[in-house]
Amino acid sequence: MKSSILRAGVALACALGLAACGGGDGDLYLTGSITQGVTKDGLVLQNNGGDDLAIPANATSFQFANRVSTDDQFDIKVKSMPSNVSNCYISNGSARANYYTIAQISMYCVIKTHKLSVKVNGLTTSGLVIVNGTDRKEVPANATTQAMADVYEDGPYGVTILTQPTGQTCTVSGGSSGNGSGTMGSTDLIDNVVVTCA
Amino acid sequence: MKFSFARGALALIAALSLASCGGGKATFPINVNVSNVLYPGLILSTGGQEVAVAPPADPTKSVDVVFPQELEYGQTYDVVPKGQAVNSDGSINYGANPKHQTCSVSTIYPYNLPTSGTAGQLAKIQMYYVCAINAYPLTGKIVGLTGKGLVLANGSTASAVSVTPATDTAGAATGADIALTMGSVAYGTTYGVTVLTQPEKQTCTVAGGANGKGAGTMDDAAEAAKGVNDLLVTCVNNPS
Repeated sequence: MKSSILRAGVALACALGLAACGGGDGDLYLTGSITQGVTKDGLVLQNNGGDDLAIPANATSFQFANRVSTDDQFDIKVKSMPSNVSNCYISNGSARANYYTIAQISMYCVIKTHKLSVKVNGLTTSGLVIVNGTDRKEVPANATTQAMADVYEDGPYGVTILTQPTGQTCTVSGGSSGNGSGTMGSTDLIDNVVVTCA
Repeated sequence: MKFSFARGALALIAALSLASCGGGKATFPINVNVSNVLYPGLILSTGGQEVAVAPPADPTKSVDVVFPQELEYGQTYDVVPKGQAVNSDGSINYGANPKHQTCSVSTIYPYNLPTSGTAGQLAKIQMYYVCAINAYPLTGKIVGLTGKGLVLANGSTASAVSVTPATDTAGAATGADIALTMGSVAYGTTYGVTVLTQPEKQTCTVAGGANGKGAGTMDDAAEAAKGVNDLLVTCVNNPS
């Protein structure tokens, strides 16, 4: 008799425990870290094809509104990306939920880059060196164009003269601020920054 | 009788297993792996021992070195670049590092192993150092700035720097000098500071640096001066 009461009690406790775990509101927050590349609004993540989560610019972590229960399958996918990224990658975004698996989720996006090519006018001698920050380029005599390293979309650039060529003086113009510097747009920047030598 | 036989057998087994532990005298070599050594000068030391780490022929490869004397069980070790210490004024002496570089313990799993301990704690004494090129600050001042909106950039190398004018207690711009910090530049690389966005109703120009116009190379001279500190951004009012 006594043991059957105990059994019933255990069964009840189990049922209650299961009920608490079930439903849309589980016991685990589905969170992840964002390591890089989210510099603009527009990133939307989904779990199991729903529960849309919009992530603002410069966020370093995310958390879905709906909690998940232990052993529930979660599957995080990118629904839409910010306009300035070429792709976003999620690590460990699909697993059965438990304290370990939900602590392993991370993601990053790769920001697009665009070409920066400088137009060179009037250069007849050698020795010209132009820089865009640490990107250093020696421009040969009579060159009419000089490719620089690619620049991140929405990132700054600023081309300046490091060393003048022999017997000539060059100045930089163009770019979105007119003096050879600016912010990279969504297309390659060809012949927009101009080095003029005289 | 049976019992005591079993005891005897146990004692024998125990004795044999102890002997197998002792067999010969266990010593522990101190193994260090160092990556990204590009220049000579690194000397690692522990307990009076030293080992010099020369840059490898292929700079993409790491270097494995072993201290000349192996430790005996229970001896302690603490491997650092020779002479590394905290000075009395709180600054850090990084010790005998490669020229233009500073080496530190790897922070990446599974290479983030301790550089100090006691021989015998781990089966093998192994640690990983990683060297990085030193970077030095790019600083100076801004004079005459009264307009809002000035943004400066060092090419595409780092984030652009926004500068707001100095103001008095009433919030009016005073045009007082403002310290400028453009972030650090790695040894051997170039810098070129430009005005990305001009402030309202003003035009700013950049001077200073090695070429006098805000550009240069973080070379030996700049390294000796602990960076570039003479950038000068001069802002004047636009003709109205």
